[in-house]
Amino acid sequence: MSPSIAILCQHLLNGVLIGCAYALIAMGLTMIFGVMNIANFAHGEFYMLGGFLAYYLVSLMGLNYFVALPVAVILVVVLAIILQHAIFRRLRDAPMMTTTLVTIGLSIFLEHVALLMWGPQPQSIPTPFPTKPLSFFGVYTTPLYLFCMAVTGALIVVSHILVRRTRMGKAMRATFQNKEASALVGIRIDRIYMYAFAFGAALAAAAGAVLGGFIPVEPTTGSIVTLKAFVVVILGGMGSFVGAIVGGLLLGMAEALGAGYMPTGWKDAIGFFAVILVLLFRPEGLFKRA
Amino acid sequence: MQALKLILAAVVFIALAPFAVAQETVRIGVVQPMTGPVAYDGNIYVNTVKMVVDDLNAKGGVLGKKIELVIEDGACNPAQSVNAGEKLVVRDKVVALLGAFCSTSTAAMMEVAKKHKVPLITGISTAAQLTEQGNPYFFRAVATTPMLGNAFGAVLPGAVKAKRFAFLVLNDDWGRSMVASYPKSIERAGGQIVATEFFQQSDLQFLSQITKVKASNPDAIVLAANTQQAVALSKQIRELGITVPLIGEGSWTSDSYLKLAGPASDGVYGLVEYVYTIHNPINDAFVKEFQAKLKENPTKFAGAAHNAINIVVDAIRRAGAADPEKIRAALEKTDYNGLVGNIKFDAKHQAYGQTVYLAHVKNGVPEVIETATIAKP
Repeated sequence: MSPSIAILCQHLLNGVLIGCAYALIAMGLTMIFGVMNIANFAHGEFYMLGGFLAYYLVSLMGLNYFVALPVAVILVVVLAIILQHAIFRRLRDAPMMTTTLVTIGLSIFLEHVALLMWGPQPQSIPTPFPTKPLSFFGVYTTPLYLFCMAVTGALIVVSHILVRRTRMGKAMRATFQNKEASALVGIRIDRIYMYAFAFGAALAAAAGAVLGGFIPVEPTTGSIVTLKAFVVVILGGMGSFVGAIVGGLLLGMAEALGAGYMPTGWKDAIGFFAVILVLLFRPEGLFKRA
Repeated sequence: MQALKLILAAVVFIALAPFAVAQETVRIGVVQPMTGPVAYDGNIYVNTVKMVVDDLNAKGGVLGKKIELVIEDGACNPAQSVNAGEKLVVRDKVVALLGAFCSTSTAAMMEVAKKHKVPLITGISTAAQLTEQGNPYFFRAVATTPMLGNAFGAVLPGAVKAKRFAFLVLNDDWGRSMVASYPKSIERAGGQIVATEFFQQSDLQFLSQITKVKASNPDAIVLAANTQQAVALSKQIRELGITVPLIGEGSWTSDSYLKLAGPASDGVYGLVEYVYTIHNPINDAFVKEFQAKLKENPTKFAGAAHNAINIVVDAIRRAGAADPEKIRAALEKTDYNGLVGNIKFDAKHQAYGQTVYLAHVKNGVPEVIETATIAKP
C-alpha cells in the first residue's frame, strides 16, 4: 500500500475508534433526553466514573480486567438508579431549566467527589493486552484499540436492537412520543424513566471503562465528554437514537479527517462548526427524534 | 465637632486597618491550579511551597514574623486566576503573589499585580511575551521557552542523533512560543523541521495529530505537554507504531509521568529546568525531605516552587519590611543561590544564570546527559 493511502486508512481507523465511543456516549444522552426530557450535563461524569471505577477495581483491588469492566458499569448503574430515585423522580414535572440546573450541579458534585476520593492525578487502567502495536500494510493499531472498537460497536448494535425489537424498547419509544398516552395504555412511566436513566448512564460508563485503557481518566474528564456528546446529539437530532449513532461516527470521522488534512489546531472547531451549520439549516438535526 | 472626631477616627482606623492585619504574619498569596487538567502538577507546587514555608517558620520565619500562606485555586483558567489574585490582594492583603501555572493565567494575573502594586512571581509560566510587557511588578524565576530553545536547540540534533524533527505541541502560548523559537536553533545546527502540529488543552486522544506527524516521517518528535497529556501522548505515539525518540518540554521526567506511561516512557528525553537526579547540597537536602514528607521524587514543579518561595522570602528579608513596594525593589536586586544554581533578574525581570538540563530516561530514571546555563538575555 502506498504511504499516503496507508495514512488515509490510519485516519479512517482512528475516526471509527473515536466515532464509536462518541456514538455510545451520545446514545445514552439522547435516550435520557428523549424519554425524560432532561438535558443531562452530568453525562460525562458517568463516563469519568466508569473509567475511575474500572481503574480502582483493576489496579487497587486486583480484579481481573474483563470482570472489572462490567462491575464498574454495574456500580455506575446502581448510582444512576439511586440518583433517579432520590432526585429526578421528584422533578418529573419540573421545567427543563430546573432539571438542567440540577444536572449541572450534579456534574460539579460528582467531579469533586472523584477528586476527593481519587485525587487529581490522571490514571490509566492497566489492561492485559500486549502493548506492541499490530501493523496491517502500514496501518497500525493495538489489541486494545481493536477491543475498544469491538466492545463499543457491539454495545451500539445491542442497544439499537433493544430499543427497536424488545417490549421495553417499544415502551420507551412510546414514552418518547407521548408521555400521557403511554401512561393511559398502561406503561409505567416511572419505571421507563428509571430504565432510560440507568441505561444511558451504563452506556457512558462502558465507554469510560474501555477507553480508560489508552485515554487517561481524571476527575475533570467529564466536562469535555459531555460537550462532545451534546455536539453529537445536536448533529443527529435531540432524542434520535439513529441520529446519535450516525452523528457520533460522523463527528469521529470529521475530526480525524479534518485534523488529518487541515491544520490540527482546528480539530475541535470542526465539530462545533458543524453544529452551527446544522442549527442554522436543519435545527431539528439530521434525523428526527424516535 | 463630635461627628468630625468620629469621622476622623474612622478614617484613621480604615487607613491603618491593613497594617493591623500585616503586623501579625507576613502573608504570601499562592494561585495555582488545584482542579482542572493540570491539577496534579499544581498540587505538587502548593505542597512544596507549604513544606518550604513550614521549614522557614520553624527557623523563625522572616523579619521575626511567621509566614502565612493563603492559597487559591486558579484552575489554569485566566478568569478564575484573576479573581483569586484580586481576592488575595484586596481581602487577604498579601504582600506578594506566587502564580499562576499556565502562561495565559499568569498573563491575566499580571494586570492584577500591576493594578494593586503587589509583586507577582511565577516559577512555571514560560511564554516569552510575559516579560516583554515591561510590567514592573512581574518577575519570572524560570527560563522562557525561547531561552530553553536557544540553549538546547543547537545540541538536540547531536544529542538525540536526529535530523528530521516534528513538533507536536499544546495549542497555547507555551506551545506556540516553542514552535516559534526551537526550529531556528535546530536548523542552525543542521536539523530540519518536517511537521508542526497542535492539540488542545482538553484533548486526551491525539490519534489524528500523531498519524499526521507520522506521515512526515520524522527522526525525532518534540512535544510540549504536562503529565496527563504527556502520558496519553507517549502511549498513543507508540501504539501507532512510531519508534523514534521523543523529546519533551514539560513533565517528561516526573515520577507520576514515568509511572503512568510505564514502558512508553523509556528512552524519552526531557528538556527541563530541574530534575531530581542533579547533585548539590541544596538539592540533596531538598530531595531527601521531599521524599520523606511527600513520598515521591520532586518534579520540575516542585523545583519551581522551591525557587519561587525562597526568592520571595529572601527579598522580604532584604527589604526589611513586609511592604509590597519595598519587596519589589528588593526582588530586582535578587542574587539567589538555589537548587539550579545562581538566579538574577535582568531589567525585564527575567531570571538568568541558572542551569537547565537535558535528561534521558533509562529504566524509569531520568539521567542528565547535557546541561546548559541560561545566558543573560
